[in-house]
Amino acid sequence: MAISADLKVFVAAFASHPNYRPLKPTLPSSKIRFGHFFNGTSDLKIAQRWPQLESSATSTANPSQVCLGTGGNNLSATVNQDAEGFLLNVVNMSFFDRLGLAWRMLFPTAKVRNNSNARIAKQRLKMILFSDRCAISDEAKQKIVSNIIGALSEFVEIDSQDKVQLNVSADTDIGTVCSVTVPVRRVRPEYQDSEEDYAGKISGIDYKDTGETSGTVDVTFDFFLPNKK
Amino acid sequence: MASPLPPLLPSLALSPSLLPLLFPSNPLSPQHRRRHRLPPVSASLQWNRKPQLAGETPRVVVVTSGKGGVGKTTTTANIGLSLARFGFSVVAIDADVGLRNLDLLLGLENRVNYTAVEVLNGDCRLDQALVRDRRCPSLELLCISKPRSKLPLGFGAKALTWVVDALRSRPSGPPHFVLIDCPAGIDAGFITAIAPANEAVLVTTPDITALRDADRVTGLLECDGIRDIKMIVNRVRTDLIRGEDMMSVLDVQEMLGLALLGVIPEDSEVIKSTNRGYPLVLNKPPTLAGLAFEQAAWRLVEQDTMTAVMVEEEPKKKGFFSFFGG
Repeated sequence: MAISADLKVFVAAFASHPNYRPLKPTLPSSKIRFGHFFNGTSDLKIAQRWPQLESSATSTANPSQVCLGTGGNNLSATVNQDAEGFLLNVVNMSFFDRLGLAWRMLFPTAKVRNNSNARIAKQRLKMILFSDRCAISDEAKQKIVSNIIGALSEFVEIDSQDKVQLNVSADTDIGTVCSVTVPVRRVRPEYQDSEEDYAGKISGIDYKDTGETSGTVDVTFDFFLPNKK
Repeated sequence: MASPLPPLLPSLALSPSLLPLLFPSNPLSPQHRRRHRLPPVSASLQWNRKPQLAGETPRVVVVTSGKGGVGKTTTTANIGLSLARFGFSVVAIDADVGLRNLDLLLGLENRVNYTAVEVLNGDCRLDQALVRDRRCPSLELLCISKPRSKLPLGFGAKALTWVVDALRSRPSGPPHFVLIDCPAGIDAGFITAIAPANEAVLVTTPDITALRDADRVTGLLECDGIRDIKMIVNRVRTDLIRGEDMMSVLDVQEMLGLALLGVIPEDSEVIKSTNRGYPLVLNKPPTLAGLAFEQAAWRLVEQDTMTAVMVEEEPKKKGFFSFFGG
């Protein structure tokens, strides 16, 4: 309890210091819990240790300021530029806070590793390569659209040929995605699923409990009843 | 195969330097090369091993990259010299018509009298334009034009193809390797340089700009009909890779999808050797980059490739003191 209180005090002191700069990678925002400030004993500790705080009320009055500073996990350029300011702040901290800070710096959390420079570069390179590699010419786009319309109009009735859209985008998981959006009015009658096939048909069977251990069976299914016209 | 040295002498690191002593005049037909190799039964340490040439001679290889400054000319010079030390006859062509640097790297800038433009004009013979290196007689350099002359607008793809064909059908026999040092960029100079080539070696560094350009160049090479493209990753800094600040060679291979010929570490010896005009692979003792170039040359001869290994990362400490917020 005492330890967690110190952490929040550390954050609040940081916020009220005039040279405050966001130190995003070192302070995980999930640990900040402002409810604890209203604990009577920790209030006293705060008043003793940090005389520059006018009252605990002012620090809790702007929680948004602190949250803003410690939210997010992007390495900002200001971190590097304000190393000197950071050192000045560190000197004012207690030993225990410095120990925690040193630990977090030496063994960074998973969030920092995911934003290492190599990974950022790899992501950027992937996007650039995909967008460079698939530059489809305009006439190819027209031909793709007309071929797809011709292939689909055998099975469905297309709403209007002008509304067909071709989009090329890059997705990080799949890669280059070329999508054609075709608005459809209805399916052609010879390919429609007729209702007689569906009458009495059971579909979507899902066994929640197959009864091997409990002795009962729990099943959900869909059952089609045609409208009696 | 008589040799004055006992068979206990090691292996690969010494053999290149001993070769000129032991076999001063080496006829380089394939039959002779096979006879010189030791029978595998006798010794577990094989010295005087030479790579086995694969593919048809002459092998015309273009060294290209797209982006400038990644190390094309350095690679051409060092791999050309390594090949010459293995015993193959190499002709290195500096296909940069306006700004030439290969002669500086090899230390032969004072000896270039005639260039390919004069050969085409008929002012001199082809063998007069080839500069032979005194340190390693199997290597010959051919420059395209004199730097002070007006830019020869007429030197195009057909001219360079003519030059390579003339080399192929010269009276002293075709060379084993023709290395073409490509200029930077993807304009007319690049198109000229890749015209006579059958294979390509793409030099790149692990940073994002070079990789983007390398990808573009790969597309252009495949359009032109050169399917055999291998990659050399240059200026690799393993300390930055370990600290996750630079993309690893595995990432590079995954992004570009090319076979890997070699990985050259960043070495300050490159600058020193360029300044002296003494190529890196001739250094005794060999430096890291020199060894890497020699291995890459070996793989080029045998048409082999390597697989990249992952640099060991720091083991991530689990949060035993997790109440600190780790």
